[in-house]
Amino acid sequence: MSASPQSLVRALERTIVGQREVVDGLLLGLIAGGHVLLEGPPGLAKTLACRALAAALDGEFKRVQFTPDLLPSDIVGTRIFDQRESAFSTVKGPIFANVVLADEINRAPAKVQSALLEAMQERQVTIGLQTHALPDPFIVMATMNPLDSEGTYALPIAQMDRFLLKIDVGYPSREEELTILERFAVSETQPAHSVAALADVHQWRVQSHSVHLDEKVKRYIVEIVAVTREREAEYIDFGASPRATLALANLSRARALLQERDYVVPDDVRAVAPAALRHRIGFNFRVNAEKPGAGAGAIIERLIAAVPVP
Amino acid sequence: MAFKRAVAAVLLALAFGANAAAQSLQRLTVTQLVLSADTSAPMVENPFHLIVTATVKERVKRLDNIVLPILTELELLGDEQQTSTDRSGTHYRETITVVAHHTGNITIAPVTLDAVNARTGRAERYSSNSLNLNVGGTALAPASPGPHLWSNLAIAAGFLAVSLLSMVLVARRWRAPPAPLPEPEPAPLPVARPHDPRSDLRDALATLRVHRTRETAVAVRLLVRRMVGAGDAETLEDVLQRPQAANPVMRELLRALERASFTHDGDLESAIAAALVALERAAS
Repeated sequence: MSASPQSLVRALERTIVGQREVVDGLLLGLIAGGHVLLEGPPGLAKTLACRALAAALDGEFKRVQFTPDLLPSDIVGTRIFDQRESAFSTVKGPIFANVVLADEINRAPAKVQSALLEAMQERQVTIGLQTHALPDPFIVMATMNPLDSEGTYALPIAQMDRFLLKIDVGYPSREEELTILERFAVSETQPAHSVAALADVHQWRVQSHSVHLDEKVKRYIVEIVAVTREREAEYIDFGASPRATLALANLSRARALLQERDYVVPDDVRAVAPAALRHRIGFNFRVNAEKPGAGAGAIIERLIAAVPVP
Repeated sequence: MAFKRAVAAVLLALAFGANAAAQSLQRLTVTQLVLSADTSAPMVENPFHLIVTATVKERVKRLDNIVLPILTELELLGDEQQTSTDRSGTHYRETITVVAHHTGNITIAPVTLDAVNARTGRAERYSSNSLNLNVGGTALAPASPGPHLWSNLAIAAGFLAVSLLSMVLVARRWRAPPAPLPEPEPAPLPVARPHDPRSDLRDALATLRVHRTRETAVAVRLLVRRMVGAGDAETLEDVLQRPQAANPVMRELLRALERASFTHDGDLESAIAAALVALERAAS
């Protein structure tokens, strides 16, 4: 019997305390077939969430700690000369996994980031003269730490656009932190294993594609993306691209499926809009320089609120 | 009467909405979209006119996607549309004859026109002004039948009397400072009958039973959203946070109408059936 996406949510919730947006975001990325960027200070269970997802999926999980001395071949793989065989053999890199955690992606130089992002886009890598398809499903979860920005290589917006959604990971509430204390103080919680199979993920994706998107909701999506190009010009240099429109539609369908519906409602669009837009809008320096009312999150909320709900 | 009013009211809003959904948007440069009435203080049971005027720069045979608001407080008596074109573009005028059966204030929501902006190429929803009407309590006495000559003479005599009175008053004003005017007696307020929102729901129920379409469900959803005070930017989750939506029956109705408005065609009949059940509960 095939598993439902909700069973995966419940498995993740048993491991991760709170962080509902992170759990939902990972699931949405998985169902919609996109990659997820998580940004937040250290110690907020970003890595644990990715590990838990991989464990619950029964897929292959690889983690790459991005550092300034990392090379593209450390990610994609290389060809090594085998003296016994007197021939080159291909050694595949950690990117050949179902769930890849790119920890602190902004600490690696641009050429390494490019190698990863190209693989994310193409879902294949070329080592030597041979092109290798990546496993399916293939999802990259990259983390970024907004602190300690010295010695980091900020991802350009064109590269960020490859991520389907970006989640800002915040601190837990007092009650959640108390639960963390009780749950993790004695022993480390083991993530639930094999809650869903990789074939289930394929099935969810097919179901997600058939979720109905009404004409009124389509216009609502287009209007939300359009206002990012027209309003708040004081804080925005350039608005979201049509890729954001597609991302909003795909994520809304995935959320509807997660809510056990086969049609999208405006609530779905509005729930996923911040995560789909925040890394695709070119905010200028005033966003962080001015207060109150500024801040990318507040501006995105204002933009969404400016569009009438159908 | 209620059923007739409901059908008229909701259908008026739907007739064009259905059209809009079925057709692709026209490419237009909208220069004017105004909603007006031939009186701001209509009298109860006395017919009056609402007038929608739209002007676009393009020369088109008709404007497809004009959507009128739901007129639950008024009974529709007639509707006449005229479209004319000249060098400056197309002029659209719709005259809607309505009558109010209750006194009190009525707010009529804006008329909307969906079109692709010919300048920017983007789909836009143009919106007219809204309209506030104060329906008075006494109907105007019907004009007494009689020869035109007599009525014209009466008007002329009245005008003469008013003119003479004005002249006398102006002459007196030059001679002496005016005496302080006595405080005017406060005009008796029109007695407004308390409005029962369930009657609107009953009307909507009757309409949805007859017209089991998505467009009707969308119109009823709009009506119920307004009843609970929902704003334009509020989604269902926001609306459910409102105190007016705390009642479980109302919450069920809002959810059912959301489903009927956005679900796929295969589920529509069942979604409308669920909305009808929820409407029956809310209207009882």
